[in-house]
Amino acid sequence: LVVVSFPLPRLRGLLQRCWGRLERGLFPGFSAGQSLPWGPALAVEAPAFFPETVSNTRESNEAPSLLDSILWMAAPKKRRTIEVNRCRRRNPNKLIKEKRNIDVCPECGNLKQKHVLCGYCYAKVKAETRLIRMEIRKKEGGPFNTPTVETIVLYDGEKPTEKDEGKRIIERARKRPSWFVQD
Amino acid sequence: SGSAWACGLLGWARPDRWLASGSLFPLTCIHTSTSLQKLGKWEKKNRIVYPPQLPGEPRRPAEIYHCRREIKYSKDKMWYLAKMIKGMSIDQALAQLEFNDKKGAKVIKEVLLEAQEMAVRNHNVEFKSNLHIAESLTGRGRYVKRIRYHGKGMFGIMKIVRCHYFVKLVEGPPPPPEPPTTGFDQAKEYVQQLRSRTLVNTL
Repeated sequence: LVVVSFPLPRLRGLLQRCWGRLERGLFPGFSAGQSLPWGPALAVEAPAFFPETVSNTRESNEAPSLLDSILWMAAPKKRRTIEVNRCRRRNPNKLIKEKRNIDVCPECGNLKQKHVLCGYCYAKVKAETRLIRMEIRKKEGGPFNTPTVETIVLYDGEKPTEKDEGKRIIERARKRPSWFVQD
Repeated sequence: SGSAWACGLLGWARPDRWLASGSLFPLTCIHTSTSLQKLGKWEKKNRIVYPPQLPGEPRRPAEIYHCRREIKYSKDKMWYLAKMIKGMSIDQALAQLEFNDKKGAKVIKEVLLEAQEMAVRNHNVEFKSNLHIAESLTGRGRYVKRIRYHGKGMFGIMKIVRCHYFVKLVEGPPPPPEPPTTGFDQAKEYVQQLRSRTLVNTL
């Protein structure tokens, strides 16, 4: 119960009348003077197990995951300021490191990494091998027709030597590239 | 002055000319701008013209501004590449970008090659290797919001992120990197600051 004392007597009177009306409306058999705690006027012995408790346990078994997980999941406490974010993003371990293993390819003059084949030269060789493979496909005609002998690739104006007696010969109609050395 | 302004505005419209031509295309007199989009500030920086230098002055190094707009990449990820090539010579920058695996590296390499070509062709740069990167920046492009569908009917709103990349090439070898400030230098600066304090609003 809260007792409020007003300096103005008119307001105090009004408040007392309102309070009286309220009390009379809520508790018709109760006078304003009594301030005992309310208890049940009549107590009845109830059964030990209430149907309510059973439903409570069922509810708690059904959805502990949703409510409990919300309670113990990790969540940020405060917003990370842009200064803190910048410190993390611009830390030297996150910056890209400069590569010190770049050289110039002596064949074509493009850049290459020291432990990797030159990309330009590799592409060049790949294109030529693709054309050779197309010639082989034309000669064989289908799958599983690979002969059991070695293959020799001959370019314009080249004749097979006596070493290449029993070998299969693939003709390519162009000048021999400088990097494809003839035995 | 209002009438003068109106006359100036309609100065291009000459009714006698229309009658003389006989064709039904009165809009041929209007000056139409060739550029479709508004030029950004970075593009306009190439247009500044300095007054001719006096005989005794040291030669002003050529500056070339170039940029690419609305690259489909994140500005934060692009920033790492921009930070890497800041202050390098153009050959070194191209070498580093060639062997970098990021998507933005290819884009920046194209931009640098374009800028090098522009420098040699339009800006009177003698040697294409004699350029270094004075500034390299990234900016945020126009973002578009889209719906990303999750399971169970949930959805999220995702942003399609784009960025701009700006580069300023300056003729000449790259400036030597400044040595990091030692503790002694910092202490000296602090003492200097303390000594240079004066009393304000007094004699």
